[in-house]
Amino acid sequence: MNRNLLLLLPMILPILAGLIVFFAKPMKNRKTRNWFVGSFLILNLLVTALLLCGPAVRVELFDLMKGIPVLFKLDGVGRIYTALLAIMWTFSGFFAFEYMKHEGNEHRYFGFFLVALGALNGVAYAGNLVTFYLCYETMTLVSMPMVLHSLNKEAIKAGFKYLFYSFFGASLGLLGIFYMFQYTTTIEFMGGGTLDLAKLAGHESFFLVIVFLSIIGFGAKAGMFPLHGWLPTAHPVAPAPASAVLSGVIVKAGVVGMIRVVFYIVGADFLRGTWVQTAWMSLALLTVFMGSMLAYKEQVFKKRLAYSTVSQVSYVVFGLSLLNADGVLGGMEHIVFHSFIKNGLFLTAGAIIYKTGKTKVSELKGIGKEMPIAMWCYTICSLALIGIPPTCGFISKWYLAVGSLQSGMTFFSWFGPIVLLVSALLTAGYLLPITINGFFPGADYDYSKLEKKEPNKFMTIPLILLATGSVVLGMFPNAFASFIQTIIETIM
Amino acid sequence: MEFIKNFPFFSIVLCMISATISSVLSGKNAKRLSMFVVSAVGIMSALVLYYVVQTGESFVYLMGHHAAPWGNELRVGVLEGLMAFFFSIIMMLSLLGGMKQIFKDISEKKLNLYFIMIDLLLASLLALIYTNDLFNAYVFIEINTLAACGLIMSKQNGRTLVGTMKYMVMSLVGSGLILFGLSVLYGVTGHLLMPNIKESVLALTASGQYRVPVLMTIAMVTVGLAIKSALYPFHNWLPDTYSYGTPTSSALLSSLVSKSYIFLLIKIVYRVVGFDVIAGSGILNIFFVFGLAGMIMGSVRALAQNDIRKMIAYSSVAQIGYIYMGIGLGTKVGMYAAVFHIMSHAASKALLFISSNGLSLASGNGKEFADLRGAGYRNKLAGFGFMVGSLSMVGIPLFAGFISKLNFALGAFESPAKLMPTLLCLAISTLLNAGYFIRAVIVLYTPVAKAEQPENLYKRDYSFIVSVVCFVILNFVLGMFSGPIMEAIRSGLNMFA
Amino acid sequence: MTSPILLLVPILFPLLGALVLPLFHFESRNKRQIYVGTIVVLNTIFTYLLLWYGPSEGITLIKLTSDFSIGLKIDGLSKVFAGLVAALWPFATLFAFEYMTHEKRENYFFSFYTGTFGVTVGIAFSANIATLYLFYELLTLITLPLVMHSMNEKSIKAGITYIAYSVGGAAMAFIGIVMIMTYGTGADFVFGGVLDLAKIGDKSNLVLLGYVFAFFGFGVKTAVFPFYKWLPMAGVAPTPVTALLHAVAVVKSGAFAIMRVTYYCFGADFLRDTWAQYVVMTAVLITILFGSSMALKEQHLKRRLAYSTISNLSYILFGVVLMSPAGLVGGLTHMIFHGVMKIALFFCVGAVMFKTHKEYVYEIEGFGRKMPFVFSIFTIAAIALVGVPPLTGFISKWNLAYAAVETGKVLPAIGVFVLLLSALLTAMYLLTISVRAFFPAKGFDETKLAHVEDPRWYMTVPLGVFTVAIIVFGIHSAPLVEFFTRIANGL
Repeated sequence: MNRNLLLLLPMILPILAGLIVFFAKPMKNRKTRNWFVGSFLILNLLVTALLLCGPAVRVELFDLMKGIPVLFKLDGVGRIYTALLAIMWTFSGFFAFEYMKHEGNEHRYFGFFLVALGALNGVAYAGNLVTFYLCYETMTLVSMPMVLHSLNKEAIKAGFKYLFYSFFGASLGLLGIFYMFQYTTTIEFMGGGTLDLAKLAGHESFFLVIVFLSIIGFGAKAGMFPLHGWLPTAHPVAPAPASAVLSGVIVKAGVVGMIRVVFYIVGADFLRGTWVQTAWMSLALLTVFMGSMLAYKEQVFKKRLAYSTVSQVSYVVFGLSLLNADGVLGGMEHIVFHSFIKNGLFLTAGAIIYKTGKTKVSELKGIGKEMPIAMWCYTICSLALIGIPPTCGFISKWYLAVGSLQSGMTFFSWFGPIVLLVSALLTAGYLLPITINGFFPGADYDYSKLEKKEPNKFMTIPLILLATGSVVLGMFPNAFASFIQTIIETIM
Repeated sequence: MEFIKNFPFFSIVLCMISATISSVLSGKNAKRLSMFVVSAVGIMSALVLYYVVQTGESFVYLMGHHAAPWGNELRVGVLEGLMAFFFSIIMMLSLLGGMKQIFKDISEKKLNLYFIMIDLLLASLLALIYTNDLFNAYVFIEINTLAACGLIMSKQNGRTLVGTMKYMVMSLVGSGLILFGLSVLYGVTGHLLMPNIKESVLALTASGQYRVPVLMTIAMVTVGLAIKSALYPFHNWLPDTYSYGTPTSSALLSSLVSKSYIFLLIKIVYRVVGFDVIAGSGILNIFFVFGLAGMIMGSVRALAQNDIRKMIAYSSVAQIGYIYMGIGLGTKVGMYAAVFHIMSHAASKALLFISSNGLSLASGNGKEFADLRGAGYRNKLAGFGFMVGSLSMVGIPLFAGFISKLNFALGAFESPAKLMPTLLCLAISTLLNAGYFIRAVIVLYTPVAKAEQPENLYKRDYSFIVSVVCFVILNFVLGMFSGPIMEAIRSGLNMFA
Repeated sequence: MTSPILLLVPILFPLLGALVLPLFHFESRNKRQIYVGTIVVLNTIFTYLLLWYGPSEGITLIKLTSDFSIGLKIDGLSKVFAGLVAALWPFATLFAFEYMTHEKRENYFFSFYTGTFGVTVGIAFSANIATLYLFYELLTLITLPLVMHSMNEKSIKAGITYIAYSVGGAAMAFIGIVMIMTYGTGADFVFGGVLDLAKIGDKSNLVLLGYVFAFFGFGVKTAVFPFYKWLPMAGVAPTPVTALLHAVAVVKSGAFAIMRVTYYCFGADFLRDTWAQYVVMTAVLITILFGSSMALKEQHLKRRLAYSTISNLSYILFGVVLMSPAGLVGGLTHMIFHGVMKIALFFCVGAVMFKTHKEYVYEIEGFGRKMPFVFSIFTIAAIALVGVPPLTGFISKWNLAYAAVETGKVLPAIGVFVLLLSALLTAMYLLTISVRAFFPAKGFDETKLAHVEDPRWYMTVPLGVFTVAIIVFGIHSAPLVEFFTRIANGL
């Protein structure tokens, strides 16, 4: 078998599997479906692992237009993202076997869940801008049904909001693509960028505007200000396992978009020191702070986590906007780390909702006594998100701070770390009280009503694994960091 | 071949004689005689046209071989031949189309009178076309007016009487002005024959003498003719007269009578005053402005009409506006277009009048749009004819009206200041035309429930069928093969100068 | 080589067929369907034969005046338009067979419907601006009875509006035509234009004004702002008419005429970077946004699609008025692709109306479950129209944007932005329908829709074919675009 075609499997298989789940009669049966989806997710893990162990591959399907092939290839960023996808989907999928019991319409959920995985793998493997856009839009379309799954008014509204924000963002991205096609030698992703400076001569300032707009456009999916509005609406109304992947992985598609545009098409050198870098960084920092503040004020648990996502993804964006090795390293690490952490947090929230139906923070007093395992995992993930060593969050934030200080930008080099610090404090402020109140409900807590509500293994095992992951990654960061270093060498 | 030169004279005289004979004939026989005369005139005019085109130059015919200033002269060029031929065709077809209606509308005793009027009208039309003598022209203008009055009045109800009175008063004002102008002109120049007057006028303008009187005469004659041809704003008499007469009368009045004055006006412009003199006098600008106003206002009024014949009548006001606009452009091509429009409008308007009669017959003699609903299904041929006429009026390619519109537009290009107003007014007027004509067509084809259908009075009438079919063909011929006709007009007008 | 007189056949054959149709007094529906179907299919085949093997030289039929003649000729642009029309007509007819069973006066309807085919091909085959104008006017007239088919007050009003706009538009276009005749070297279409610069001298502003008039005049049929009003109103016509005529044949003949006027009469070089270009481009951009916004507001399904058509037609025009070969390629691409996409959308709505008599967006809640085929296709076509790759809409959007970017000017850049904004609006007004249909709100009572079901093959086959086209041309557009590029470079 041609090794290159192997690359297509993680895209085609989930889509096929999704269609089977959606349409095949036997899949209406929960047990059959769970077996099928479960084994498929494992299979996907294996196939992805097989790919990751192999060398770089590249497959050109057909010419969408003259000179614009549909091109997939596996490079460093793609590897990280596809690995993330495979892992998170497995966790979330298994969690959902249990969780989705109370949501109904399960076969539709799992159908779209799997199709979305295929599309996202496409985002990871896309080898040029147009292919990327293709997968990106498809991914938006097929992930929307997960958001509006519950079909109440609020969910449908949120679904539309998600769809239209994403489309608008993608449109801005497409605007960028149009111009990049004009001013580059190729729109295939090449580390270091493919700008054709001769063609660009005279249009630089205009082109910067376009690049900025497309950054904002991809920022929509990453929840970056000013297009972050959909995120706090859409994530909470989706079923918890869906919010987990939305927050943990799908938002990162926007980040991947930024990485592709900035480091693989335009090139970091072109942007370094321009107003675009400054503006981009300001937006990122603004979002970091704003997200934390809003999360701090928010009382609905899942909404709080959604705002937290807004803030945390912009850590990544901030790292990228530094345009230096350490910053990018920190950003890319945070992609993965935040994924583990936020998946863990959302799944905890899901477990709580599933078992107790409680959604408000204020209702969670004593929850630690009722669901100790879940809450322990929650606590570990929280600490990781705050960035307390030896958890993983510390590592990424460290690199972000270092990168910022080395950036040589007079103002931002010290202002960035301060914002990160303040945000970390706020993070502690909005996450830890839940733990504290959960384990130490205070004197007036009525212990007589206490009953164990620990969820079953489908829920706890993913939680435990995620929590463990976020610690282990923090304790042994070097292998991963050096892998990212090799990527950075190709793009800087 | 030389003999053909007599034909113009013969045809006029033939008409006069047959009018006299008709006074003692029964209605039926008078009709037969009239039909014969019209056909004979048609054939003779065709031969004349053929002759002039062959020789390529115009000729002057001295009546009784007396030279000026005593003799009467006829002048025949391509244009005159063409007009005479065309007018007799229209007259023939109009007569055919409305024949049954004439016999219904007019009391039997007076039928022969109607045909006398027809004969006289034709005589005066021919004379106005051919004459080379201004006084002669005046005489025939009066005959023309009287014959027209007779045609309108023939139906003899209150409305036609009022209409006739209006027409009479306005016409007499017009002819009074013309007479006054002519006498002044005679006083200044001492001539009545066109070429002679032109010579003197040229001499006078060159020397600068009698500037005001010459200008006055030009103004009076042209305004007089404008009144008689119902140029806006002198159009008040027109709708009443056109809409209440018997259809043949309406068709003849709108397509021939008013056009003969315009033709005379063109003749005066070229042959009496001289194109350059008149172009320099600013009178053309007045024509232009009134023409444009007529184009728009006539159509606007037409939009508001509920009576199909009144609508067609107001449309005539608009169409006469077109012709004056073409003359007013002061360019050669504009003039060609005006002459062509005389023909295309005659062909379309007569068709509209004739077929609208067929439609109202099919609707129990109703003339309001409310009665006419579905009439296109009840009298298919009339409906088709009305549609063709309408489309021609709107200016759809392949139909006669389009060619006029095209030529007007092209004519405007030689006169840059008038270009945009012309083009815009053409566009607006097209839109307005479509507004009322196509609305009318839609009404005609709106189906009506069987129970609500009015009584269908239309019986198969072969003369009507022949007439409508010929008119339709004529419209298409003018629309599709305008090349030779335009060529004839061009050479005819060149012969004028 | 075939004789050029054959060019008349695909024009006259359907017209004759239409004329003769009432004479047969078809009693049974079946016989009429066979008759109409045969004519349409034969004509399509013949048109395609001509497009492939037809004569390259033209023919002059009659001379209306000395320099205004009626002539026919096939060139690249004709092939595109005639190909589009001839390809869609049989399917639309098939659809109409089924749809018209619940309207009255089918004889009358199919007579005009078939005749329109001939006139539209006539527009495509026109060799000069005069012929184009002739067929353009005829198209207005022959489609009028179709618009007014039901002959109730509403449809008559729509008909009068339609005719007033169209004839008024033609009258405006007429101004442009006489400009071409006066300042050109001939009325025949020549790529690059026929203007004689020596004749124009210092009157270039006048000629440009003529172009603007011609643009807006022909633009009336393409529903350019502010002359759009008739199109949503004409939605009262039976759906096959709205679908084929008001999404493809009639409205695109306006776009086609503008292409002819721009590239083959005035010439893109003459117009580029003049105030005329800015004026028309501004109007086009306004139309794009306006149409999309109105579509979003509109709750009536067919009118929503009509507004969408308004917006999308101006996509085509945007490409055209870029005045560059790439722009023309973009315009042509969208002309073809929008035709297929919009006709599919209209047929879906038509199928819904036919089966359920529901006309409003809020009435179709949950229909997706009962009419899965129709609404799947609706969704695919909608996504295509939004411009999501790899469907057709993306290709045309890409080509348009590419051309706009290539100019490197400010207004086209704004245009790209407008295109994207409009795509977003498109997503809003179309995908909400799909979502409503497939994801009815909680508590939705499915039993109420017991009678709702997919229509039979007369309707589903055309839909299926269009969908296949949307996907296939989306994935494999290169040869088609290549062909357009050759046309746009005057080859």
